[in-house]
Amino acid sequence: MIERHLLKLRARDTVSPEEEHAIRDAIGEVRFLPADHVAVHAGRIVDYSIMLLEGIMCRYKDLSDGQRQITELHIAGDFVDLHSFTLKRLDHSIITMTPCQVAIVPHANLERITERLPHLTRLYWFMTNMDAAIHREWEVSLGRRSAASRISALLCELKLRSEVVGMTDGMTYSLELTQTDLAECVGLTPIHVNRTLKELREKGLVQFRSGRVTINDWDGLVRVAEFDPAYLYLEKWRT
Amino acid sequence: MARYYLHIVNGGGYSEDPEGQELTDLEAARTAAIEGVRSILSEEARQGQLDLAGSIEIADADGNILLSVPFSEAVELRLDRKGA
Repeated sequence: MIERHLLKLRARDTVSPEEEHAIRDAIGEVRFLPADHVAVHAGRIVDYSIMLLEGIMCRYKDLSDGQRQITELHIAGDFVDLHSFTLKRLDHSIITMTPCQVAIVPHANLERITERLPHLTRLYWFMTNMDAAIHREWEVSLGRRSAASRISALLCELKLRSEVVGMTDGMTYSLELTQTDLAECVGLTPIHVNRTLKELREKGLVQFRSGRVTINDWDGLVRVAEFDPAYLYLEKWRT
Repeated sequence: MARYYLHIVNGGGYSEDPEGQELTDLEAARTAAIEGVRSILSEEARQGQLDLAGSIEIADADGNILLSVPFSEAVELRLDRKGA
């Protein structure tokens, strides 16, 4: 059940059998959530974190005129709001973008991990730092990258993140999102995303159709995106 | 609510909208078209070349074109300062 989560952790560090057992033990219950379900409302006190087992969720903020900015996408294996363990109330909301299967991890159980298992605690600290690194990369996209570069960077990132948790098939991976969802990630409109995807497709770089991404020219896409995977910390040398 | 398809016709050719968007009515679809055009034009402005000759074709689920929104309707152009 937590295999993808373990793959994500083990891509960066070792996880001992004792630690793996502690993670499994920390799960309170498993829930199935429909798409478009707000799992965490900004401002409300929460006493558990959500580990995503299947599906796609995101962190987002809405403006009063109805515009939404998605600030990070989460895929299977992500500890979506591990940061709520220390923050207790989130400054943003979390919603399911597809039907999702999630594991509920009570903060009390996370507290026990921090008291008992210092290495796993450091690894989870690292994981929240990595989320911050992803936020920084998105900040660069939203502030400085062109439309083509923003979308390319996002599709490169999701390819590597999906690959780590065993969800790619060569250069193809599932991404059950709409162009409107993508627009809310990259700060563009659905029309602009559609226009830009056409441009990327015609250049022979990448195709996004019916919930699937197919990368035809990885090096070309990386160039357009100025994508440097350093921020995903894929090296395994931490302790 | 109804599903509207916002196809783009401009210098880059024809971009079919494969998914459409759920919107309240045709007026909401027109607003989405205008916002979309402004987003495309803002990018073009950054690159120093504006193509105002395009249009958004708003179609229903059966493929009927309900409305064509010229790019030029999305912005007000001021090229001189009258009466200044």
